[in-house]
Amino acid sequence: MLKCTLNGREVEVKEGTTIIEAFYQNKIDIAHYCWHPGLSIAGVCRLCMVEIEGNPRLQIACNTVVTEGMKVNNQSAKVKEAVKWGLDFHLINHPLDCPICDQAGECGLQDQYMKYGQYDSEMAEAKQKKHKVVDLGPRVVLDSERCILCSRCVRFTDEVSKTNELGIFNRGDRAEIGTFNGKPLNNKYSLNTVDICPVGALTSKDFRFRQRVWFLKDAETVCTGCSTGCNIKVHYNREGLFRVKPVYNAEVNGHWMCDEGRDVYKFVNKESRLLDARVVSGGKAEHMTAFEAAKRVGEKLKGAGKSVGLVLTGSYTVEEYEAIMSYFKTEVGTDRVFHWINNPESFESFDGLLLRGDRNPNTRGLVQALQKHGFSAQWKELTEALSTGSIQTLVVAGPENQVWFPDFKVKVAELAKATRLVWMTSGKSSALDELKGEVTLIPLKSYIEKSGTFVNHAGRAQSIRPVTSIVKGALSLTEVVSAFRGEALQATEVVVGRSENEIGRGRIHNEFTLSRGAW
Amino acid sequence: MSTAGNTMTTSSAKSSVVRVQRPEADSTWYLPGIAIGLWMTGKRLVLNLVETLTGRPDRMPTVNYPEQKYEYSPRFKGNHVLTVKKDGSLRCTACMLCATNCPADCIHIIASEHDDPTVEKYPIRYEIDVLRCVFCGFCEEACPVDAIRMGPEWQTPGVNGSDFVYDIKHLAYRPQLKGGIVSVLDESERHKAGI
Amino acid sequence: MAESKYLTEHYGKPEYQTLEGYKKLGGYQVLEKALKMQPQQIIDEVKASGLRGRGGAGFATGVKWGFLPNNGEPRYLLCNADESEPGTFKDRLMMERAPHQLIEGMIISAFAIKAKKAYIYIRGEYTGPAAILEKAIAEAKAAGYIGKNVLGSGFDMELDLYIGAGAYICGEETGMISSLEGLKGQPKLKPPFPAVQGYLRKPTIVNNVETLAAVTYVIRDGAAGFRKYGTEKSAGTKLFSISGNVNKPGTYEVPLGYKLMDLINIECGGLKPGRKLKAVVPGGSSAPVINAEECERATLDYECLAQMGTMLGSGAIIVIDDSNCMVDVLSTITHFYHHESCGQCTPCREGTGWMEKIVHGIVHGEGKPGDLDLLLKIADNMKGRTICALSDAAALPVLSFVTKFRDEFEYFIREKKSKVRGGQIYAQMHA
Repeated sequence: MLKCTLNGREVEVKEGTTIIEAFYQNKIDIAHYCWHPGLSIAGVCRLCMVEIEGNPRLQIACNTVVTEGMKVNNQSAKVKEAVKWGLDFHLINHPLDCPICDQAGECGLQDQYMKYGQYDSEMAEAKQKKHKVVDLGPRVVLDSERCILCSRCVRFTDEVSKTNELGIFNRGDRAEIGTFNGKPLNNKYSLNTVDICPVGALTSKDFRFRQRVWFLKDAETVCTGCSTGCNIKVHYNREGLFRVKPVYNAEVNGHWMCDEGRDVYKFVNKESRLLDARVVSGGKAEHMTAFEAAKRVGEKLKGAGKSVGLVLTGSYTVEEYEAIMSYFKTEVGTDRVFHWINNPESFESFDGLLLRGDRNPNTRGLVQALQKHGFSAQWKELTEALSTGSIQTLVVAGPENQVWFPDFKVKVAELAKATRLVWMTSGKSSALDELKGEVTLIPLKSYIEKSGTFVNHAGRAQSIRPVTSIVKGALSLTEVVSAFRGEALQATEVVVGRSENEIGRGRIHNEFTLSRGAW
Repeated sequence: MSTAGNTMTTSSAKSSVVRVQRPEADSTWYLPGIAIGLWMTGKRLVLNLVETLTGRPDRMPTVNYPEQKYEYSPRFKGNHVLTVKKDGSLRCTACMLCATNCPADCIHIIASEHDDPTVEKYPIRYEIDVLRCVFCGFCEEACPVDAIRMGPEWQTPGVNGSDFVYDIKHLAYRPQLKGGIVSVLDESERHKAGI
Repeated sequence: MAESKYLTEHYGKPEYQTLEGYKKLGGYQVLEKALKMQPQQIIDEVKASGLRGRGGAGFATGVKWGFLPNNGEPRYLLCNADESEPGTFKDRLMMERAPHQLIEGMIISAFAIKAKKAYIYIRGEYTGPAAILEKAIAEAKAAGYIGKNVLGSGFDMELDLYIGAGAYICGEETGMISSLEGLKGQPKLKPPFPAVQGYLRKPTIVNNVETLAAVTYVIRDGAAGFRKYGTEKSAGTKLFSISGNVNKPGTYEVPLGYKLMDLINIECGGLKPGRKLKAVVPGGSSAPVINAEECERATLDYECLAQMGTMLGSGAIIVIDDSNCMVDVLSTITHFYHHESCGQCTPCREGTGWMEKIVHGIVHGEGKPGDLDLLLKIADNMKGRTICALSDAAALPVLSFVTKFRDEFEYFIREKKSKVRGGQIYAQMHA
C-alpha cells in the first residue's frame, strides 16, 4: 500500500492505482467524462486535470499512477481554470437541445457545468452541424451533435461486449460515432452504452421521451431475468416503472447488465397485471379480493391430501418457497410438488458475459427448498396424474415473466385438465382469461412489491426489498399461505419509507456525483 | 424546484433566537379600518349617483359590466395560450419544464417522437386542469421557447367538469386565437444559422 | 560563410540516386566500417557528437537511443518520412536525390539499437519519392545490404516502405505508430513512451529522415569531425527549406549557427525589389513567428531561437515581406490545424475549429473587438493540455501572430479590410 495526499487528506492506496481511481475510492469529486472504472483508459476528455507537487505542468489523473508520497491537488486556481476551459471546449459545439434531450436532469455536461463551470460562454460563431436521430440499431438512437466523443461506447463494444460495432468516423470536429455498413449495433448488451454515455447522444428507443428523469424515483433491487441476478436500479413514479439500470456489484455483474433484463419492468406495470382475484365456476366469474379468494381455496385445501398438486416456477423468493412448501407438506399433506422448467435444453447455457439460459431468478433456491422438504416428483408424474384424475386440485404458482415461457399457452391448457385449478400469478394473460371449468385466479405481488431472497446460479443469496406498490391487494406467496390458513394478514409487507440516501434528493444520483448508481 | 446536481446548504448552523415584532394592541383595532372602508364605498356611491344623474357616465368609478369591459394591462395573466410556429404546428417541445414548475401540478404532458429530425420531440397530449390552476404564470416563465403564454382572456365559463381540462386544440387553436399565435422563438432560424 | 555541402555534397549528380552511382561516390563504405564496431560504440559516438533530432523536436538522438531497455525484446526502428509540417520539403529532396543515404543511415542505426525490423513511413502525397525509394530499397536488398546476414556481419535486418494516406497527425511519433499498427492514426497516451512500449508494444525508436542519414556522417568522421560544423549545443549541418517571398526558394544545407539574414540574402538571393522583410516563421508553421528586428539577431541554431521564444523545429523557413497581410497568413495556418486535428482530445478538436472560425470571421469583415483577447485566451488554454503537441502547434502561431502584429488585426477588425494595401487576401479569394 502506498501513502499519498489528495487535496490535503492523506490516504492509502494499492500499488498501481491511478490518481483518478484514488479519488474515486475515497469519494472525492473530480471532473471527468471519458474515464470509467469498467473500461480502459482513454485520456481524451482532458478534464481530470490535477496538480502534482513538483510538476509544473498539470497532468491528467486517469493515466498517472500514484507514487509514494505523491501530493495531488485538484482545488487550486490553476486546476479550476483548466477544468473550466475544458468544459468550455466541450460545450462550444454542443447543440441547445436540453428541452428535447432525454438526458436532461442526469446529464454529465449539466451537472459538471453547475459544479465546475458557471461561466458565460464567449462562443459566437456557427456551431458544427452533424447527423441527428441516427438509427444505430434496434435499441439505440444516436445524436452526433450532442456527442462529446469521449469514446466510452466504442471502448465498450471493443472490450466488454467484444462485438466491435461502433467506431469514430472522420477527423477533428467532424468526428462522429457510427456503425459499419451492414453491421448495426445489435448485441445483447447494447443498452449499456446508453447508460455510460455521459450526455444524451445515445438514447434508448424504449425509454425515449417517455418521462423526464426528475419525475422518477429510483430504488435498488435484483433483476429477475435470469439466474445471474444482476443488481439493478428501477426508476418509477406513481404511473409505474419506466426503466431499469444496472448497479455495480463486483461479484455478480460488475458494471453491466444485459438488454433482456432491461425489460423486467414491463410485466410489472399495471397494464400487464392481474388486478383482482377471479373465481370462475359454472361459467360465471366472481370478482373478489385476493385474500378472500385465497381464504376460500384454503378451506378446500385443508387436509385434502394427495389429491392436491402444486406446480412451482423459479420466480419466487426463498421465503415464499419455504412458506408454501411447508404448508403443503404439513397442512395439506401432499408430496406432489412439481418444478415447471421452461427451457430445459438451454438451462445451463451461458453467453460468456452475463446472460444465462436459465431465465428464472431463483431456480437454485427452489431446488434447494425441494430437496430440503424431500419433494422429488417428476413432471411426467403430473401429466399422468392429471390424465388419470388422481390430482383433483392443482395449485400453480405461475411464472412472473411469461415471455420466457414459450410453452405457456400449452402448459395452461395441460394444467387446466385438473378438476379444480388455482392459478396464482402477477401478470394477466389471455390464455388464463379463456379458461373454463372451476378456476380461481389469484393476483400475486411482483418482485418489486415484496421482500425476500433470491439465490443466483452460483449460490449467492441476494435480498430484495419492496420498492413500491402497484396492485393493491396483491399478495406474496407467504401471505397467500396465511390466507389459506384463514389468518389475517400481518402488516409486514408495507412499503417502508426509504432512507434519505435513496429518495428525497432526486436526480442528484448519477455517476458524476460519485454515488452508487449507473456506473 | 431544486436544480439537479446542486446541494444548497441552508445556514442552519446559526442558533440565535430572533424576536419577531408583533403589532401593538391598538394597531389591531379594526374600527379605523371599517371607517375608511365605509368612507371609500360611500364616496363611490355618491359619485356614481351624481355622474349618472348629471349625465356623465364616463366619469363613474364603477364599470358597467357587461356592456363596458375593464381593459387589463398586456401583462395580465389570463387563459393559457400555446403558441405555434410559422407553419402552424405547435411550438411546444414537451420539455416539461412548465409541468415541473407548476405549483398546482395542473399540467400533464405526454411527449412523442416527431418524424422530422429537426423537430424531434413534440407533445401528443398537453392538458391543463384550469380548476387547479392558480394563474401564477410560472409556466410562462419556465418555458425556454416561448411556447406557453398567459393570454388576455378571462371570461370562460363552463358547464361540465370536462370543460375545464384544456387540451391542445383548445389551448392553441381555439377560435378566438384566429389560427394560432406565432411564437417569437422560431427554431427554423436557429437551425439555419447553425447554432 | 557559404553553404556547406556535407550531406548534400553529391545531390547535383543524377547517378547518386542509383546504388551503382552511390557506391562509386563513396556510399556504403561507412556501413562496412560500422558493422565492424560494437553497437554500443555507435550509440556512444552519436551521443558524443551532439546530433539532435532533425524532425522538429530537436531531442538529442544518442540520449533517445539510450532510453531503450535491456530486456532483449524485439526492437523496431521507424523512420518518420511523413513530412507534413507546412513549409518543410527537405526530406523530399533527400529521398528523391539520395535515397541510399537514408538507407545506409537506417541500417547503421538499426545495427546500433539492435532493431531487426525497420520501416520507413512516408506520407501518402509523396508518390514520386515513394517510387524512387522503393526502387532503392529493392536495389539494396538485391545487393545484400538489407536482409539476412548484412555484408556477412551476422546482423539480420528487414526494411519496408509504408505509405501513409494524407494526415499530418501521422507525423507525430505515436500517431505514426498507430497508423503502422493498422489503427486510426491517432496519438497514444504517453507514458508509456515509444522507447519502452511503442510499435506493437515493443521498444521502438522513431527518428526523422535527416537524422538517420546524418548518423552515417557521424560514424564516418567521428564525433569530433561532426562537430566541426555548428555550435556547441547544436552540432552539425542542417537542411533548411526556405519558401515565401525570396528570390530563390529551395532547400539549402548550412551549418547550424548560420545567420538567418545571411541565408535569406546570400543563398536565397534576398527579397523581391522594393519589398521589406516583415516576419519570418523559422521552424515550420508551428513555430512562433519572429518580426524583422528579431530576424536581424537570429542565428539558425536551437538555443538562439529558443531564447527568442520560438524554435528551430523542422528547419522550414517561411519568409514574409510587407506585401503580405498577417491576418491572411494566420487564417491559412488556423485552417490547416483545424483540418488536421485528429479529434481525440477535446481542447484541440474544438479549439482549432473555434480559432479558425474567429480568424475567418475577421478576414470576412465580421470581426468583433473582443475577438483578439478571446483568441489569446483560447490559445493559452489549449497549450499543454492535450495528448500530443498538435494543440500547442496550433496555439503558438495564433499567440505569436496576434501578440506581435496586433495592429494589423485591430485594423482589419475596425476597417474590415487589410492594412496591407494592394495585396490580395488569399482567404477572401477562397471563401
